[in-house]
Amino acid sequence: MTQFEPTSEEISAVFPYLAEAMAEALGCDVSDITLTVSLIDDLDAESIDFLDIIFRLEKAFNVKLPRGKIIEDSRGALLESEFENEGVVTSAGLVQLKSYLSEVPADRFKTPLYVADIPRLFTPETFLKLVIKAQREQLETTR
Amino acid sequence: MDFTSLLGDKEVVVTGGSRGIGRSIVLMLAAQGASVTFFYRSHESAAGDTVNLAKGLSGVVKAKKVDIRDAGCCEQAVDQIAETAGRIDILINSAGIVRDNILGLMTEEDIEDVLATNVVGVFNMLRPVIPYMISKREGRIINISSVAGEKGGRGQTNYAASKGAVNALTKSLAVELAPRNILVNAVAPGVIETEMSESVRQRAEEVVKSRILLGRFGQPEDVARVVLFFASSLSDYVTGQVLHVDGGFKMT
Repeated sequence: MTQFEPTSEEISAVFPYLAEAMAEALGCDVSDITLTVSLIDDLDAESIDFLDIIFRLEKAFNVKLPRGKIIEDSRGALLESEFENEGVVTSAGLVQLKSYLSEVPADRFKTPLYVADIPRLFTPETFLKLVIKAQREQLETTR
Repeated sequence: MDFTSLLGDKEVVVTGGSRGIGRSIVLMLAAQGASVTFFYRSHESAAGDTVNLAKGLSGVVKAKKVDIRDAGCCEQAVDQIAETAGRIDILINSAGIVRDNILGLMTEEDIEDVLATNVVGVFNMLRPVIPYMISKREGRIINISSVAGEKGGRGQTNYAASKGAVNALTKSLAVELAPRNILVNAVAPGVIETEMSESVRQRAEEVVKSRILLGRFGQPEDVARVVLFFASSLSDYVTGQVLHVDGGFKMT
């Protein structure tokens, strides 16, 4: 998903449903779900909530999303040993991660960044991109 | 509390429901008003018998041919049930096999087959079912284990290992899912009078019986009643337990 950018039409088509699904999963108001809010730090999401969110999005949009593979995907072409060293994201890894999570404001990438803390960067837009990417792939295969 | 309709409107999936303990569970839960879909692998006519035996009960019983060793088949079957019913409230993992032999004579297939059905099969069912329960913020999971999971038995290294795994899985999953009000428990039968235990019973009936405190083999219904307890609101405050239904066999 390096440099994957959804169009504004795609975003406005998906976001209202995504916000609703996320609010239900997290037990918060739909208005709390903005594109850039941190799901863990601002909305207290836990790993089980990510499963719930992905499941709801799959049902709402009739797509298959990667489960527990976001971090693996975020490595792009880098080997695990190039991406991280003893649980800390390397400088090459950080460049790759910033590109993959291009929607996340730059000041949220603290250094040293632990791999275990990567999910703290996830925002609704991270999942919105997953949905749109899956929709595009689905379109490709049905063509 | 109404003790004649403990599971009215509950949607239940039972694996291994065509015969033995699984069949008894299907019938007991349907008698309490549950809508039950049971999976079977190969015993088509036994599955038909289970459906026929359920006629006249307050709940509906359906059979589905699913090989739980195949994760894709499990997911497809679970999605189909959940999409029709709108939810899955209770999952009972009852399918299991034995391939008894002393370890030195056990084949690789004996080990792999038992682990594939008794352990991987449970994972294959849990993974697609749990998200439905998480989104509803409630659910019950009951794994049928065995006394062999804690008490050793000659010729049962593969089976005992598989049931020990189920017990450990039950406890970990109970911790994971408690925040979403999903209760996970296991029922560990002793020697129950089913086809599966026939060879054990024939081989050493009197010796085994003499080690059962209650002095008799169990009936499938003895196990099914305890499953009903875990499936119903009778056990609202119980999770992460392995309950032995063995007439005291484990104690001797």
